[in-house]
Amino acid sequence: MWRRSAPSLVALALATAGGLAAQAPRDSAVAAAARARTGDSLGRLAVPEAAGRPAAAATARDDAALVQAIEHQIRCTCGCNLDVFTCRTTDFTCTTSPAMHQLVLARLDSGLTEAQVLASFQRQYGEMIFMAPPKRGFNWAAYVMPYVGLAVGLGLVTAVARRLIRARAAGAGAETAGAPVEPAAGGASPEELEKLKRELERFEA
Amino acid sequence: MTDIGNIALWITLLLSAWTVAVGFLGGRTRRPELMRSAERAMFVMWGLLVIAAIALMRVLLTHDFNVEYVAAYTSRNLPVFYTWSAFYAGQKGSLLLWALVVSTFGSVALLVNRGKYRELTPYVAATLAIVILFFTATMVFASNPFERLAFTPPDGRGLNPQLQNPGMVFHPPMLYLGYTSISVPFSFAVAALISGRLDTGWLHAIRRWTLASWLFLSCGIVLGMWWAYVELGWGGYWAWDPVENASFLPWLTMTAFLHSVMIQEKRGMLKKWNIGLVVLSFLLSIFGTFLTRSGVISSVHSFAQSNVGWFFLVFLVLAAVLGFGLLAWRWPMLQAEAKLESMVSREGAFLFNNLILIVIAFSVFWGTLFPVISEAVRGTKVTVGPPFFNQVNVPLGMMLLLLTGIGPLIAWRKASPENLKRQFLWPTTAMVVTAASLAAVRMTNAWSIVAYALAAFVVGTVLQEFVRGTLARHRLHAEAYPVAFLRLMGRNRRRYGGYVVHLGIVMLFAAFAGLAFKSEREVTLKPGQSVDVKDPYGDTFHITHQGVSQYEQLNRFVTAASVDVLRNGKYIGTMKSEKRQHLDSLGRPTFEPSTEVAIWSTAREDLYVVFAGAVKGTEEAVYKIVINPLVWWVWYGGLVLAFGGLITMWPGAQGPTAASRRRAEPAGYVAQVGA
Repeated sequence: MWRRSAPSLVALALATAGGLAAQAPRDSAVAAAARARTGDSLGRLAVPEAAGRPAAAATARDDAALVQAIEHQIRCTCGCNLDVFTCRTTDFTCTTSPAMHQLVLARLDSGLTEAQVLASFQRQYGEMIFMAPPKRGFNWAAYVMPYVGLAVGLGLVTAVARRLIRARAAGAGAETAGAPVEPAAGGASPEELEKLKRELERFEA
Repeated sequence: MTDIGNIALWITLLLSAWTVAVGFLGGRTRRPELMRSAERAMFVMWGLLVIAAIALMRVLLTHDFNVEYVAAYTSRNLPVFYTWSAFYAGQKGSLLLWALVVSTFGSVALLVNRGKYRELTPYVAATLAIVILFFTATMVFASNPFERLAFTPPDGRGLNPQLQNPGMVFHPPMLYLGYTSISVPFSFAVAALISGRLDTGWLHAIRRWTLASWLFLSCGIVLGMWWAYVELGWGGYWAWDPVENASFLPWLTMTAFLHSVMIQEKRGMLKKWNIGLVVLSFLLSIFGTFLTRSGVISSVHSFAQSNVGWFFLVFLVLAAVLGFGLLAWRWPMLQAEAKLESMVSREGAFLFNNLILIVIAFSVFWGTLFPVISEAVRGTKVTVGPPFFNQVNVPLGMMLLLLTGIGPLIAWRKASPENLKRQFLWPTTAMVVTAASLAAVRMTNAWSIVAYALAAFVVGTVLQEFVRGTLARHRLHAEAYPVAFLRLMGRNRRRYGGYVVHLGIVMLFAAFAGLAFKSEREVTLKPGQSVDVKDPYGDTFHITHQGVSQYEQLNRFVTAASVDVLRNGKYIGTMKSEKRQHLDSLGRPTFEPSTEVAIWSTAREDLYVVFAGAVKGTEEAVYKIVINPLVWWVWYGGLVLAFGGLITMWPGAQGPTAASRRRAEPAGYVAQVGA
């Protein structure tokens, strides 16, 4: 029953934080002054649970390129279809991706390389932990089949085209319907105008 | 009202069965009273489904929580705007909307073709009635929107917060319009196959429908991307989610059809292929819904799961048997009227264009289903996510982009070396100069260089066509350049509208290529603390956390985190990202909190800020900060694409080409078409 209790707490929070949304950059000093008045270095949220799960402060290590690279390759198992990095920085209700992030950090701390960390996740969860099927065994079918399809299609098109293409007498001119227009420069002769007319018909046909 | 709705659904069910029977019988026996009855029944079904839709809308707007659907998707404090959209927020309402739209399109198709295509219309009515019969039966027997509860809850559960977004109000109906409007070309294809009237007549009848369907799908997909970008907060707009893929599949096959149908109209070739594409597009439109509803594949759209997925599978199989069975039956009648003279021709380019589009569709389909296939073959589950789809589809996309430039300029029948040189000299120069320039400025991503070079090539071909055509009109008719340009477009809207669509596609490709330079980071800031973030152009964003505020607003409790942003030392604004805890009318939390992203957007890049959480209930905030280059081009590329589509299908264009009309003559359609 938040509605009954929230407004007064919200008012308190706003007073503490000092109405923030519509202020220019210089107003950040107002917020600092408000905090100084209350003797609190950090404002408290009136209803913390409304902001989702409590977040842990992100360190530079959480955001390291290696950590991102690993976490972009493994899937959060909460069912969201996102990778761990994207999930933990987006879905603030998910508790799975932060836990998996801690696992990544712990395994890196234990001296494992990127490949070893990924392998450890595979041992733990199976191949489905990766955002794309690893390129080995039957999984190659996933990567190869579209190009097999392309090759088969090319073969079919070529075979059908060979059958359809009729032999044309040597010297027969190419179709001119698709010839480009080149506007006559300067004053045009009647022949040029006639040509121009034909060309325009091509553009407008 | 629920009784009225139920009765309307039952009568529709019976009437659709009647329409199927008299439509096929009337078409076969040529008995006019049966043919008329099938057509009239379609109008009556439309009226009945309108009544059912009004009944559902009324119970939604009056908060009749005794109706299960109303209790499941609305609440007393849900804004009216979203109460409207709750009509199709759940499966039951979606089914009703689908049936209503099919009957609407069916009625319009029969009305505008009244007196024409007499051999086809009874079969068209019967085929559309099969679709309506399926949806109505699914509602009546498995998923009734008017189902009542044994008790009346004081308030409803409310609408999923992620659906409380303007993008979500327009995105699903657009996709539904796209999916359902494919039913009309499909029904004409079935009618042509059954009746044996396989000339280009049926193509004339469906021309605008195919364009409309493609346009609706395009708009629906782009709106869905926009919704995902602004609402889900993960920093992207396309995740290759199975349901996203399912909407992309019919779009690809429809795009292939819109190109290959030109060859049939102009040269009388690819008849089997075109009918196959129409049938396939229809099947894929059903496949998307099957995926959403069945839960076969894990998806972010899993909230829509239910047991009716298997109804869709049965319908899918039956429709495939009907469509492809008829195609096989009429195979000998679908011989090409002309021979291919050279692969170096527009026909050849369109063939390759179709091949690439179908291969992309296959790769998306294959990737989407591969987890199921892997589990069936090896007993091992795998995940097929964005890294797979990007890797497989980027090269195919580049081939498609190249053909987008080649197709419209190369000559029909056979292109001479002279033609190739004159048409492609400048576009090729633009492509080479672009690639060299990007390499010179040390752009590191090879695929991006290829994409931008090909984009320059396509833009070159389109501009060349516009410039040359305008100059020709200017010289011949002494028209001012703007007048010449507009009249040129007006004289052949299909062609020039198509060029505008190509420009939209180029903008989209340019935006996709920009993703290679996306960067993201996670930071934690106390009020007053700042972080500097560099963009790929070398500019610096100085971002200062201002604090977190909480307040109540409409049907939600908002936690808002604000940052001030300076770009290269210049203040550009305050950005506010929110977490919204939705409440019911009694002030109780409903659903999990949702995210509202703060986005600062320019043509160059988006600064995308997500408030990812508060540390220990304080104002210390965790932010996800993403630099997304060129996202703006996705939305405006989508607009240009839609604008081009509208030009192409705008009434008053000259209609079928002379060659296409000639091809319809043997069937005696000329007078009818012109009527």
